[in-house]
Amino acid sequence: MTTTTTTRRKLYMELENCIGCRACLAACTQCGGHEQKNRNYVYDVNPLVNSQTMPLMCLHCVDPACARSCPAQAIQIHETGAVLSATVDKCIGCQNCTIACPYGIPKFDEEENLMYKCDLCIDRTKDDIPPMCASVCPSNTLQWLTEDEIADKKQATDVGNDKWVTSMPYLEGETHVTVNLPGVLQGTVKLF
Amino acid sequence: MQKDKFFRDIENVRHRNEELVKTHCSYCGMQCGMNLRVDKSTNKIIGVEPRYDWPVTLGKMCPKGVTAYQQTNHDDRILKPLIRDDASLKGTKEGFREASWDEAYDLIAKKFGELQEDYGKDSLSVFSGVSMTNEKCYLTGKFARVAMGTRYIDYNGRFCMSSAAGGFLRSFGVDRGSTLPWTDVHQTDCLFIAGSNTAECHPTSMFRVWAVQERGGYLIVADPRETPVARRADVHLDLRPGTDLALANGILNLLIQNGYADESFVNQHTNGFEETKELVKDFTPEYTSMITGVAVEKIERAAEIYGKAPNAIVMFARGVEQQHKGVDNVSAYTNMALVTGKIGRPKAGVATFTGQGNGQGGREHGQKSDLLPGYQKITNPEAVERVSKVWGIEPEEMPKPGVSAYEMFELMDNKTIRGLYLLCSNPAVSAPNLNFVRGALKKLDFMVCGDFFLSESAEYADVILPSVSWSEDEGTTTNLEGRIIKINKAQEPIGESKPDWLMQVELAERLGKGKHFSHLKTAKDVAEEFRLASKGGVADYYGATWDKIDEQDGVFWPCTDKEDKGTPHMFLDKQFYHPDGKAKICALPYRPPAEEPSEKYPLRLTTGRVVYHYLSGNQTRRIKFLNDMCPDPYVEVHPITAAEYDIEHDEVVLLYTLRGKANYKVKITEAIREDTVFVPYHFGDLESINLLTIAALDPISKMPEYKACAAQIDKIKVAGKVL
Ligand code: SF4
Ligand code: SF4
Ligand code: SF4
Repeated sequence: MTTTTTTRRKLYMELENCIGCRACLAACTQCGGHEQKNRNYVYDVNPLVNSQTMPLMCLHCVDPACARSCPAQAIQIHETGAVLSATVDKCIGCQNCTIACPYGIPKFDEEENLMYKCDLCIDRTKDDIPPMCASVCPSNTLQWLTEDEIADKKQATDVGNDKWVTSMPYLEGETHVTVNLPGVLQGTVKLF
Repeated sequence: MQKDKFFRDIENVRHRNEELVKTHCSYCGMQCGMNLRVDKSTNKIIGVEPRYDWPVTLGKMCPKGVTAYQQTNHDDRILKPLIRDDASLKGTKEGFREASWDEAYDLIAKKFGELQEDYGKDSLSVFSGVSMTNEKCYLTGKFARVAMGTRYIDYNGRFCMSSAAGGFLRSFGVDRGSTLPWTDVHQTDCLFIAGSNTAECHPTSMFRVWAVQERGGYLIVADPRETPVARRADVHLDLRPGTDLALANGILNLLIQNGYADESFVNQHTNGFEETKELVKDFTPEYTSMITGVAVEKIERAAEIYGKAPNAIVMFARGVEQQHKGVDNVSAYTNMALVTGKIGRPKAGVATFTGQGNGQGGREHGQKSDLLPGYQKITNPEAVERVSKVWGIEPEEMPKPGVSAYEMFELMDNKTIRGLYLLCSNPAVSAPNLNFVRGALKKLDFMVCGDFFLSESAEYADVILPSVSWSEDEGTTTNLEGRIIKINKAQEPIGESKPDWLMQVELAERLGKGKHFSHLKTAKDVAEEFRLASKGGVADYYGATWDKIDEQDGVFWPCTDKEDKGTPHMFLDKQFYHPDGKAKICALPYRPPAEEPSEKYPLRLTTGRVVYHYLSGNQTRRIKFLNDMCPDPYVEVHPITAAEYDIEHDEVVLLYTLRGKANYKVKITEAIREDTVFVPYHFGDLESINLLTIAALDPISKMPEYKACAAQIDKIKVAGKVL
C-alpha cells in the first residue's frame, strides 16, 4: 500500500486542463444527498472560437459571502472548511445567497423553496475521500491534493505573474480551494 | 498491482445496506474501472462509485461512464420477446406484440429452416458487434457457423477497428491495438496523435496526455479540427480530411533526410526500408503541404520533435482508419516508429485508441467473416481442424469465409442473403450510405434482432429478443491496451431478458444442434471452451483464466499457459510476428479520398463523436443527463465559410451529398478548417449523418470512408422563416 498522508487534502483546480466533458457535473448528481442535481457548472470560455471550457464550482470561501448574507443562519461551515448547502428546516427561501456569492454558485430550487449549493461532497470529504467531481475528472482539472502537493504545484507553475491564484487579491477573498488559472505549463522546461 | 505516480490509496464510500460490485464501463475501449452500487434489499443497481484502485483509470470516468448504470433498470428496456406479424410495418416501431420465449424460438427455427430449405445454407446471416464480452463474441461466431451453418457472419468492427487490424497485421504480423500498457503513456517524451479526438472519445487518457507536457514532453496532434486535445498541442497539424497518407509519408521523408532513421534497428529487424525511402522522397515538405493543407513549418517541426524524442508513442484512431485507405494510413504512421526504432521497449511504440468496449477482443475470436477464435484464419486448414475439434464438428462442415459488413447489405439487397440475426449493433444508424442500407434491411424475408433497447435497426426486425445489459452478466473484455479484464454481474436480468450466449444455446437446440451447445450452462463454461478454442492462435487466451485476471488486474495477451503472466509490452525481444521475425516498413503511394470536392459539392464532410454519446446513441440518447447535454446533431462550420454561405449560428441548413441529405443546426467555430464541415454521427432516423456518407471501402479492411466525402450546404431560412 502507498503511504497515506495524515494531512487533509484540498480541492485544487488547473483550469487549462479542462476538456469540457462535464463528467464533474454527472458525478455531482451521484453524490449522496445531492438528489440528482448538479451543484457545479462548466462554461465555454470562447464560444464560437475554440473548445476551451472551465469548471465553475464553489471555492469554499474562508469568510463566505453566501453565509454572511443569510438572515436565517441556514448556511453552515463544516469543521473542514466546507461551506455547506442550506439546512432544510432553516432556509427561508429568500435567495440572498444566490446574489451575495461573487461567483453565482448557490442556486434556488423553486419547487422545494430551498437553496442548494456544492457541499464539497461532505459525506466523502469529511473522511478525506475525494469529492465525486475530482474523483472522476478525466483531465486532472480537478484534483484532491495535500497542502504539500499544492505547494509543489505552486512552485512548478508560479512564475510571478497573475496566473497562479490561491487567494487575495485575485479572488474576492481567501478560499479553501486553490485555483490555477490558464498557464499550467508556463513554468515548464522542455525536455529537449 | 501496478501503481504509478497517479495512484492514491483511497477507501471507497460504503453506504448502509449497499454492496459495491467492481466492474468496468459498458462503453468505450478505455474500459474504465468502476464499482456499481447495489441495494441489498432490492438487489438492484442504484448508482456508481469510483474504482480508485484500477491501475489504468484510477476512478476516473467520463460522463457516459458515470451514468452507465442508468441503462440497467431503464424504462425503455425490452422485457419480453417481441414478434411483429405485419411485415409491412418494417422500418417503424409499430406492430410488435409480446410473446413467450418458446413462441419466439419456434418462429425463428421455422423461418430459418424454411429459408435454408428453399435458398440454401448461406441465405442466412449474422451481423454482430463488439460491445459485448469475449465469451459472447466467441459464441456468436460458433453459433453462426455451427448452429446456423452459414458463411455469412461479420460485425461492426468493420466500421470501427478493422483498418487498425489490417495495418498492424501488415506492419507487425500481429494485431494488438497497443504495443505497450497505458501506464507508459504519461512517461514518454512525445505523443504523436493522429485522427483521435482523445478528449471526447477516450477522455480518461487525458490526464496522462497532459502529464507528458507537464514533464516537458511534446504533444503533436494531426486533426482537421482543433479538438480539445489539439488545442494544447505543441504542434497541431490541421490537415484536410482524408490526406493522412501524404502527411505520414512527408514526415517519414523528413525523418530519413534529417538522419533520424535508426539504421541498425532497420537492418536487423525490418524489411522494406529502401523501397519506402525511395517512395517518400517525393513527399517534400512543400508537396506534402500542398496535398494536406498543413503549413510547411508545422510539418518540419513535427518531424524534428518526433525525431529528437528519446521515447515517443505514435497513436491514432478512427480519423485515420475510417478512410478507404485506412490500412495504408495505419501502416504509414507505424512506419515512423519502425524507421526510427522507437518501438519494442517501454515508453515507445504504437497504439490505436480502440473504439468499442471490446473492439480488441471482439475482433479476435471469430466474428469476422474470415476468422476463427484466437485470430486464426478460416482459410488455414490446421486452424480449421483445431477449432472443429473443440466444436465437435468435422472440418469439412466448417463454412467458407463470408463477406464484410457493408458487403452483406449488398447481398441482402440482391436477395443472396434473405435472413438476418442482428445483435449488439445498430447498422441502421452506423453504416454508411444509409438510404441503401435501410432499404436492404427492409428487403429481408426474415430478421431477428437481439438488443436491450429498441434500436433503429430493431425496427426492421420480425422478432426481437430481449438481451441483458452489461451489468446483468459476467465475462471478459479486452481493453485498448490488449489487457483482458473481467466484467462482473451486479444484478439479475430484468424482466425475461437473457444474455445473448444463453439465447444462442437455446436456439441452437431448436435448430437441432444442441449437442454442440447444451453443455454451456454458464458464462464461465463458455469462457473455458473459448480459451481452448483460441489456443495456438496469435491471440492466444489459453492462460488468461478468470482467476488470473482478478489476481493481476488483467492479463495482456498473448498468454499461452498457466505460468505465463501475459505480455504487457510487445516486441521487447525485437521479434515481430512475420515468419522471418521482422517488421515491415511499407512503401505506400498516396491516393486522394474516393470523393474529392467538386463545383457542386465544394465542402469536405467529416464525421465523429461527441463526449456525451456512444456509437449510434441507442444507449446514450436514452440517458437523461447525456441527452440533455447533446440532444441533437449539428454541423460545425468555420465563420469564414458561414459568411460565404450567409448562414448564422443556430440557423437550420440543408446539408447534402450525392447520396443523401439532412437538416442540421449550424454551430459556428473557428476550431475547424474553412474547407471542412463536421457532423456527429450518434443520431437516428432523418438526423443520421450516415445518410450522406460514402461507402467507399478500403480494399483490405473493407472500412468505409466515413471521414471524407464531398458535400454542399443550402440555406433554407428566408426572412427569418424556415421554408
Ligand atoms: S470533469 Fe474535469 S475536464 Fe470534465 S468538464 Fe469537469 S473539470 Fe472539465
Ligand atoms: S464561492 Fe460562493 S457559494 Fe461558495 S462559499 Fe464562497 S460565497 Fe459561498
Ligand atoms: S465511455 Fe470510455 S472513457 Fe468514458 S467512462 Fe466509459 S470506458 Fe471510460
